[in-house]
Amino acid sequence: MLEHILSILIFFPALAGVMGFMINKESMRAYGVSVATIEFVLSLLLWFSFDNTVSSMQFMEQLPLIPSFGINYILGVDGISLFIVIMASLFTMIGIASLTETPNVKNMIITLLFLQMTMVGVFTALDGIVFYVFWELSLVPMLYIIGAWGGPMRIYASVKFFLYTFAGSLVMLVGMLFMAYLFYQATGRWSFALFDWYRLVLPENFQLWLFAAFFIGFAIKVPMFPFHTWLPYAHGQAPTIGSVILAAVLLKMGTYAFIRFSLPLFPDASVYFMYPVAVIAIIMIIYTAMVAYAQKDVKQVVAYSSVSHMGVIILGTFALNVEGISGSVFLMIGHGIVSGALFLLVGVIYDRRHTKLMSEFGGLAHIMPKYATIFGIMMMASVGMPLLINFVGEFLSLLGFYAQSHMLTLLAGVAIIVGAIYMLIAYKRMFFGEVTKEENKNLTDVNRRELIALVPLVIISIWLGIYPKPILEPINNSVELVVQTMHNKATTEDAKMRIPNISGVVISKTSMKEDH
Amino acid sequence: MEKYLYIALFAPLVSSMFSALFTNGAKKQFVGVVASLLIFSAFVSSSILLSNILNGGEVLHVEMMTWMKSGNLYIPFGFVVDQISVTMMMVVTLVSTIVHIYSIGYMDHDKGFNRFFAWLSAFVFSMMILVMSDNFAGLFIGWEGVGLCSWGLIGFWFHKNIATWAANEAFIMNRIADLGMLIGIFLVYWNTGSLQYHLAFPAMAHLDTSTLTMIGIFLFIGAMGKSAQFPLHTWLADAMEGPTPVSALIHAATMVTAGVYLVIRSNELYSLIPNVGLFIASLGAFVALFAASMALVNRDMKRVIAYSTLSQLGYMFAAAGLGAYWVALFHLMAHAFFKALLFLGAGNVMHAMHDELDPFKMGGLKKVMKGTWIMMTIASLALAGIFPFAGFFSKDTILEVAFSEHHMIIYGVLVFTAGLTAFYSFRLVALIFHGEERYKIFGIHPHEAYKFMLIAMSPLLILAMIAGIFQEPFFNMVEEILGAMEYHIHSHVTVWIMLVGTQLFVGLAILFAYKKYYSWGSVPDGSSAMENSFIYKLLYNQYYIPFAYKEYVMKPYNDISAIMWEIDKKVVDASVDGIANAFYLTGEKTRDMQSGNLSTMLKWMVTGLVGLLSLAAVFGIATRYSDEITTILSGLGV
Amino acid sequence: MEIGLNHYLILSTILFAIGLVGIMRRKNLLLLFFATEILLNAVNIGFAAISHYYGDLTGEMFAFFIIAIAASELAVGLGLLIVWYKRHGSIDLDTMTSMRG
Repeated sequence: MLEHILSILIFFPALAGVMGFMINKESMRAYGVSVATIEFVLSLLLWFSFDNTVSSMQFMEQLPLIPSFGINYILGVDGISLFIVIMASLFTMIGIASLTETPNVKNMIITLLFLQMTMVGVFTALDGIVFYVFWELSLVPMLYIIGAWGGPMRIYASVKFFLYTFAGSLVMLVGMLFMAYLFYQATGRWSFALFDWYRLVLPENFQLWLFAAFFIGFAIKVPMFPFHTWLPYAHGQAPTIGSVILAAVLLKMGTYAFIRFSLPLFPDASVYFMYPVAVIAIIMIIYTAMVAYAQKDVKQVVAYSSVSHMGVIILGTFALNVEGISGSVFLMIGHGIVSGALFLLVGVIYDRRHTKLMSEFGGLAHIMPKYATIFGIMMMASVGMPLLINFVGEFLSLLGFYAQSHMLTLLAGVAIIVGAIYMLIAYKRMFFGEVTKEENKNLTDVNRRELIALVPLVIISIWLGIYPKPILEPINNSVELVVQTMHNKATTEDAKMRIPNISGVVISKTSMKEDH
Repeated sequence: MEKYLYIALFAPLVSSMFSALFTNGAKKQFVGVVASLLIFSAFVSSSILLSNILNGGEVLHVEMMTWMKSGNLYIPFGFVVDQISVTMMMVVTLVSTIVHIYSIGYMDHDKGFNRFFAWLSAFVFSMMILVMSDNFAGLFIGWEGVGLCSWGLIGFWFHKNIATWAANEAFIMNRIADLGMLIGIFLVYWNTGSLQYHLAFPAMAHLDTSTLTMIGIFLFIGAMGKSAQFPLHTWLADAMEGPTPVSALIHAATMVTAGVYLVIRSNELYSLIPNVGLFIASLGAFVALFAASMALVNRDMKRVIAYSTLSQLGYMFAAAGLGAYWVALFHLMAHAFFKALLFLGAGNVMHAMHDELDPFKMGGLKKVMKGTWIMMTIASLALAGIFPFAGFFSKDTILEVAFSEHHMIIYGVLVFTAGLTAFYSFRLVALIFHGEERYKIFGIHPHEAYKFMLIAMSPLLILAMIAGIFQEPFFNMVEEILGAMEYHIHSHVTVWIMLVGTQLFVGLAILFAYKKYYSWGSVPDGSSAMENSFIYKLLYNQYYIPFAYKEYVMKPYNDISAIMWEIDKKVVDASVDGIANAFYLTGEKTRDMQSGNLSTMLKWMVTGLVGLLSLAAVFGIATRYSDEITTILSGLGV
Repeated sequence: MEIGLNHYLILSTILFAIGLVGIMRRKNLLLLFFATEILLNAVNIGFAAISHYYGDLTGEMFAFFIIAIAASELAVGLGLLIVWYKRHGSIDLDTMTSMRG
């Protein structure tokens, strides 16, 4: 079973989703929870049988799809993708378990299961076309979730979300086709396999164009400034569960793809574009943090804060050294947990008051102390309090980028100030002061169903903040491999200098050439 | 010995978690008792560790587990108990034990009693991490941890808008400094390859001065925030909105001295860059005077003491900056004792006066609060540096350092500030405890605090009186690690003139304060000539700095944020929508072509056909005559 | 004067132009069919002429195909036309706008 565990992880939820149409409505929730739990247990099994000391891909599967064009169904996980896969199944489980009273709950759960398939698919696919297919498929369930269960502007928001990201990924597709064509030119056979591409050393000017093509696709997904405007709408209109999965997992596709595709495929271009990308990341960090501060709607605060933190992830990725990239991968996990939890928390108060305007709250700490505590912990995690999950990633990302530029890191570090400003002010507006609104006086504290969703996230944030090693170690090993690949492939002097050479990491050629 | 280290470190954590269990419940007396006992056990363990160090035991260095490991970066949870950290541990655990016991009485009627102890013990834990860590990252954990607890405790009464505002201000201002600190840490890592003290400091000896200066400056920026040095000082006075035991523990004795601790801990670095040291000393001297001047006129008892704390922190930085690290550490310790005592005394007064803070509305409290009166007077004497109390030994040594290092301006400023210190301290004492009983106008019936609170304070009282005798053993203990030297002024006559002169000056200031305020009769209403003078207004409004921050930092930030949001909606998003709308509009405009009328469509078809044919023709011709066209175009300069 | 290839081609062009104008101008479906027939036959003339000119039978073969296709097209088209007339009582093009965008 273990040799096919990735395929099982991908297609089990989809099959279960199809079966779900036959389940009657009353037992649908239990069915969904059990499917998602099985999926989560499977992903944990994946983790336990994962060899931490191996830095290359594990659990590889391969099946030719269209051999004449080199399109193969290749799967595999390494330290970089493993934890995002686990996080995806965790959030699907938590999301279904904490689902509030929803109309058409059956369709919702089936949609979530399909979404689960596409998410795992994206993070395990090692073939350009398969990756692209899952990448695009993931839009459909999300479109449906926002469009069918969203707020008053749901159609606008969902169409915007779909078209925007879709337009970006088409450019990426062109890049992929061109990449395969270049491979064909060089070797005489077509291949979309990532490991084939890794071995291709491209001249710098090709790298620049290809980098740009991939960049547009990824940047819109992340979303990077100035392509971020779909996100506030999507979050603003999406139901809680949609926001949670969007923020926790779907946004990570972009940053993950940077590490999986852009960096090792185009090391010279990555160095070439490092400063521009870093500047964009810094604009993201500061600008969106300020925009977040100006919001009146607490969900928008969390949405913009999410963009701001993605800026730090991008910055860490483009540090191009082990510390920075490991930090950014870790921060992906951290950001997933924290922003997911924050969206769940916003959902809690929205369910009770049916408004997200901060001016409607105030003094909630008197009435809902447990809620205030959990929100407080997550807020502190979000502002990067040490011993909570986000700090590790933020610290390493910034530390890594400091090796590349002092000034830009100093500017990016403003994140810890502006992040504290909008979060603390929002917290003050919601929780502190006297209870002024009559409607707020009789609110109930978090109930058991909500605690089931929130408490694990709190535990994870504290656990990984204090003891990040179980996750950081495999991430670090795989990142070392990526950095070494980049260093070896780099052609320009500048790139050789900026991407460190990691002595002691032997790139096992066999594992890279496993295909064919 | 490791066992004691872990007890000292984790007993406060256990205490915090234990208290946190009852956060949502009703007040439970035993929570306070258990918390106090646990903190006391940390104190006992620290004492054992101290006696071990004093008896020439090994410096204790343990690595509990790995925290972060990535690339070449290795950060463990490592703890070191050496002469510096054990001093800090003693100060922290002693003061916090006393404050815990005191709080049982002080927070008696508060419904957040249990929550208070959870936060307070969490603070002690963070502070222990801060002082015990063997690396900069661990220090940063404690650094942020104390900031968090300070946020929670300043805003403890979260229904008060002003308290939560002050809490946020403290947190955010500290964050600004933390950025500097973080950058300093990055610099240390990339230049020395490690964040652990025992590897990083020796490696610094081989770095060039400009790098070291950068490291020194950025680390000091961090210290400036935590120790509320100018220009990041405004939060400390506002932090007085928190409960008074918090002010005593956090904003007087321990957390605010973390910056001084950092400089002392990094003594190996700062000895390499005397220029930065001189800057630190100058800033310290400036802040000493600056804060003391604001304390002269303030009408809020706690704020006066807060400014005095600020001023004393200036003294510590002056000493540390001049390389007299052990003097700074000694003053830190002595200051912790008498300042905590002063704050706790102020807490008693506040209780008695039903949270009234204006000393002009008190007066004559000596009769009802004898114990508090004695304690606050002695604490003020110690603060003023009168022989033979604690402040005399620590502060006078700082003056001697400045003198013997030939920094006469710093020396002069510090001596003058000593006079101001004496004046405002006794202004407070005179106004509160002597003179007419002005509180009667307001119908308040003061009463002395619980007896056990006074007993809890008594160790501080004793230490404030006798801490001077520890100077010699303390010097011997830290000599080795801080490279300490005795400061000798060659001529004995000069020493005596200095000593007696300073004492006389301070004594005169005290007498002047008594004379002016001893028999104060009325509550000032802002009509006297002094209250309308420019200097008074300037000092009373804290040099208008908080106003300037509000007006020129916070408001613009608000406005810029609002503008950014508008930009986000009206420029960034609008351009995206614009592109989408362009497609829509094209469709909208061209839909008339699809009239559904076969005849019209056939016409369009023919048009298209003709168009394509003519294009084909044009390209055909162009290809045929391409050479000629190229010539013509090049002739045109294209 | 001998009638040569050019004459046939000119005839074909003229017929094509007539057919084109007919397509664009006529409003009656039946007349539209006439116009299409003229167009097709204009092409047929061209094919046949060039075929004869080169002595290659392919062009004439094409012409036969076109005649066959035109016949079947007309058969189907007229059938639809009759049905339409029975339904709507008119074969005026301006009334057929159900595909309006």
